[in-house]
Amino acid sequence: MKTYDILVIGGGSVGVPVALYLAQKGKKVAVIEKHASVGRGQNRAAIGGIRATHSDPAKIKICQMSLDIVRKMEHEQGLHIDWHQGGYLFPVYDTERERALKNLLEVQHKFGLNIDWIDAEAIQRLCPGINPRGLRGGTYSPEDGFASPLKTAGAFYKLACDAGVDFYFYETVLSFEKKESKIVSIKTDKNTFSAGLVINAAGADGRKIGQLVGADLPVYPDSHEGGITEPVQRFFEPMVVDIRPDGHSDNYYFYQADGGQVIFCITPNPKFYGKDIDNTSEFLPLCVRRMLELYPRLRNIRVRRTWRGLYPMTPDGFPIVGYTKETDNMLHLAGMCGQGYMLGPGLGKIVAETICDGNKDYKFIFDQLSPYRSFTGTEMLK
Amino acid sequence: MNRILEHPVLETKKEARQVAFTFDGAKMTGLDGEMISSALFAAGVTRFSIHRKDGAPQGIFCANGQCSQCTVIVDGHAQKSCVTPLRDGMDIRTLDRLPALPADDTPLRNYEKKVVNCDVLVVGGGPSGLTAAIELAKLGLRIVLADDKDRLGGKLVLQTHKFFGSEEDCYAGTRGYEIAKILEKELRSYKNVTIYPETSVVGIYKDRKAGLFVGNARYLIVSFEGLIVSAGAREKSIVFPGNDLPGVYGAGAFQTLVNRDLVRAAKKVLIVGSGNVGLIAAYHALQAGIQVAGIVEIAGQISGYKVHADKIKRMGVPIYLNTTVLSAAGNGTVERVTVAEVDKQWNPLLETARTYAVDTLLIAAGLTPADEFYDMAERFEFKVVKAGDADEIAEASSAMFGGRIAGLKMAKLLGEDVVIDDTWLKKAEVLKSRPGEVFPLDGVELTDKFKPIFTCIEEIPCNPCTTVCPKNAIKLKDKIGTIMDVPYLAGECIGCGICVAACPGLAITLARKVDAKSAEVMLPHEYIASFKVGDKVSLTDIDGNPLEAAEVVKIQPNKKYRTTLVTVRTTLKNAVVAAGIRVQEEKETKPLAEPVLDHIPDNGIVCRCERVTLGEVVKFIKEHKVRDINQLKQIRVGMGACGSKTCSVQFPRVFRAAGVDFSTVAEGSIRPLSVETPMSALINETEGE
Repeated sequence: MKTYDILVIGGGSVGVPVALYLAQKGKKVAVIEKHASVGRGQNRAAIGGIRATHSDPAKIKICQMSLDIVRKMEHEQGLHIDWHQGGYLFPVYDTERERALKNLLEVQHKFGLNIDWIDAEAIQRLCPGINPRGLRGGTYSPEDGFASPLKTAGAFYKLACDAGVDFYFYETVLSFEKKESKIVSIKTDKNTFSAGLVINAAGADGRKIGQLVGADLPVYPDSHEGGITEPVQRFFEPMVVDIRPDGHSDNYYFYQADGGQVIFCITPNPKFYGKDIDNTSEFLPLCVRRMLELYPRLRNIRVRRTWRGLYPMTPDGFPIVGYTKETDNMLHLAGMCGQGYMLGPGLGKIVAETICDGNKDYKFIFDQLSPYRSFTGTEMLK
Repeated sequence: MNRILEHPVLETKKEARQVAFTFDGAKMTGLDGEMISSALFAAGVTRFSIHRKDGAPQGIFCANGQCSQCTVIVDGHAQKSCVTPLRDGMDIRTLDRLPALPADDTPLRNYEKKVVNCDVLVVGGGPSGLTAAIELAKLGLRIVLADDKDRLGGKLVLQTHKFFGSEEDCYAGTRGYEIAKILEKELRSYKNVTIYPETSVVGIYKDRKAGLFVGNARYLIVSFEGLIVSAGAREKSIVFPGNDLPGVYGAGAFQTLVNRDLVRAAKKVLIVGSGNVGLIAAYHALQAGIQVAGIVEIAGQISGYKVHADKIKRMGVPIYLNTTVLSAAGNGTVERVTVAEVDKQWNPLLETARTYAVDTLLIAAGLTPADEFYDMAERFEFKVVKAGDADEIAEASSAMFGGRIAGLKMAKLLGEDVVIDDTWLKKAEVLKSRPGEVFPLDGVELTDKFKPIFTCIEEIPCNPCTTVCPKNAIKLKDKIGTIMDVPYLAGECIGCGICVAACPGLAITLARKVDAKSAEVMLPHEYIASFKVGDKVSLTDIDGNPLEAAEVVKIQPNKKYRTTLVTVRTTLKNAVVAAGIRVQEEKETKPLAEPVLDHIPDNGIVCRCERVTLGEVVKFIKEHKVRDINQLKQIRVGMGACGSKTCSVQFPRVFRAAGVDFSTVAEGSIRPLSVETPMSALINETEGE
């Protein structure tokens, strides 16, 4: 039996940071990961965007903390994770979406977010050559940005190892043994553990882990395809998000990474439910056509690689953060809805401060993102 | 101009149209339609790009569309020069770090998704792909064959030597590039075959479709029932300081430049690796008028065919066993290469270091199968068969025969009523055999009539001598009972010399006694004769040892085999051991008086695309407890344009150097695309309304 204060299931965007911050506060922490290394679940497929400009208090707070953490990593800690503060741009070509985004701005301003409406000329300055025909302007949030999920996961892993976290790779959790209302041991295919607290940070497997204690989390993955190009000299700054649906897809977004590559992703419609992460022939012609309609200058850039990753979705599109009722000692950090990468660092810190320091400031987050909420709302903008 | 204007075997390109282009503003000329890389080499350019990481000069490496190191800016666009044809008036520039994307802001107008259906998609039109496609075409199946080169035949196109194997099964005795034409012609005779040259298959997708980047311009989605992966192999790179300098490249790339494009790519080369590829590269170099300082082989024995090794030794090229390359160095391009002997653990013995002044170092350290589409298709549970080098690295003769079997296997998978002849499977095994036993030379008693002397004393799968002899007088010794056996004279020799001309190993001579003191020997010669009747030539034995200066009495070109039969007058003693005429002077193979040690072992480049050194990778593996290849992507290893096709073969050695058992390390993931494809091509954008 291996004994820890806290056992984190899942070594990805969420599990590694939370393990790190708990260990930094003196806890003895282990991470169990079914893959060979960290970030091999969905972090490997994340696009890399990090924004605080959401429309609800919980995600705004979490991502503000994430942004603070990644900026410090890059600028103060000397951990090169390719952070680039290029901002997020939502260009608008019709009145309907202009109205929607302007309404959203009011909410976002109430939360004090740095985001504003900019005109078509300002957009041309940020993205020279973007299709000017019918361009009405758009919202722009200059403090958001993007970094390399791969390098971020690697940096958190290094920090976590240095902080004393033990990692168990190639190991799958099989069952929990409960005594009264407490998990007393955790069985994997290789070891038996005991821990005062178990954290479910299993990403796309979050529902499966919940089921092992009898909790039925509404987490259903669907898949999105992404791609990356060759690197070229920087020619545009922000993450560009086009939220117009076109019949075969909903939104798509792309940005130019710190190394010069353009990274892109699309939300298919209808959705691809399930856990299949193999590429199909549909993605490139669809996504590329939409990108070139918006930004013709991309026509000469060469696509280097594509991949597919899972969005562990919840019915209302918000993550699940909270203790399960089935036992006394399991905390779910699950159903990140494709935003685990931007939520993970802040969430890790919030959880560590709440658990270890008794900090009550984040209670609103646990309330808003409770596993026992009604799941009926929808986000103003995904 | 570094052009080959005269070649003993190949037709030179006298009729090709000259076109003008500029390189970094300087006016140059090249041949219309040749690959830009070859035009640049011919004009003396060896630096194609400047790496963004540290400004290092980058030269050609694979010349095969795989590695991206030869990327240049063509009319404003970054392009791989080895797969981009030269056109009149092109403005070509060095790629200086990151390219700028052209500011072409014309709105997107016309685009199209192109899809075709077929029964079988054949990936790669080399020896095995061509024969597999032919077998399937015979059955009436609809075939799409894609090949990334402008000419079909794969490596056959580069092979100017006569083929081993047997005449009936794989055109033995015929030269590779001629076999390519024969097979292409046969395949093109079938109406149910669609051939896409200059087309890379860039992805195999889960919905049983493949993405084809056609003619470097369009994107075609091919829906198929079955898939044949005959994509060949890639040359392995090896890690040593200076391995990234322009002038260090693959032996296959060299053959592409020299044999396909007739470019005199070097003045003097040193070769690493004594497999057939390295041995033949030396031979091809000499045929193209390029000197060869030697071949180094880290193992204690030659790994290619003995007949190949013997013939290059006879030409005056030394082969150094138990020897490795320590470093390549020079100012922006290779100027010298230092080698040293190794101990039993293959550690270099620095006190044995020698430095050669050469401008090119050819890497012939083996091949690795290009089989990732096969693995992917298997995982997707498609009907898939692999063939040729993608299946198992072997001679092209074996690939041709194996391709036929692969075609039939695919037909069976598709439910066709075919039977694969059992004897075919046995033959296939024989054709891919490694060399077997080596026997002593047979003793020969000379008479006044010509008779053959065989220096073919190592078992290899080859028998054309037995089938070309008009008298059927040559037989194989019945030891194994296959074409692996070595030949002997079993009848009457009429002295016609056809066996001498046909033997792919140049391992047959004819000899006869002329008088009590002298004899005549008929030798095969695959070089442009630098001598005439009456001149003296330097005669060597099977191992290249000098025998005597012998007088030439007759020179007969044999048109069919493109081999010259040279008859010389020798002493009786030498007549029975004479095996060849030396073509390279000994001084060409001498090292510098003092070795130059530029030996910093950690400086070798592992990831060529992203320029990551062995030292950097080993340090990262240790510091980050790396047990998953994917973790190396954090330092960009495997993230470059080639998609880790080049560096992945180094990983076992790299992890060993970091003290990690490679068998415990998780594999890296491979995803489409396998070749970078422009966005406009992916949607078949066309101009106009």
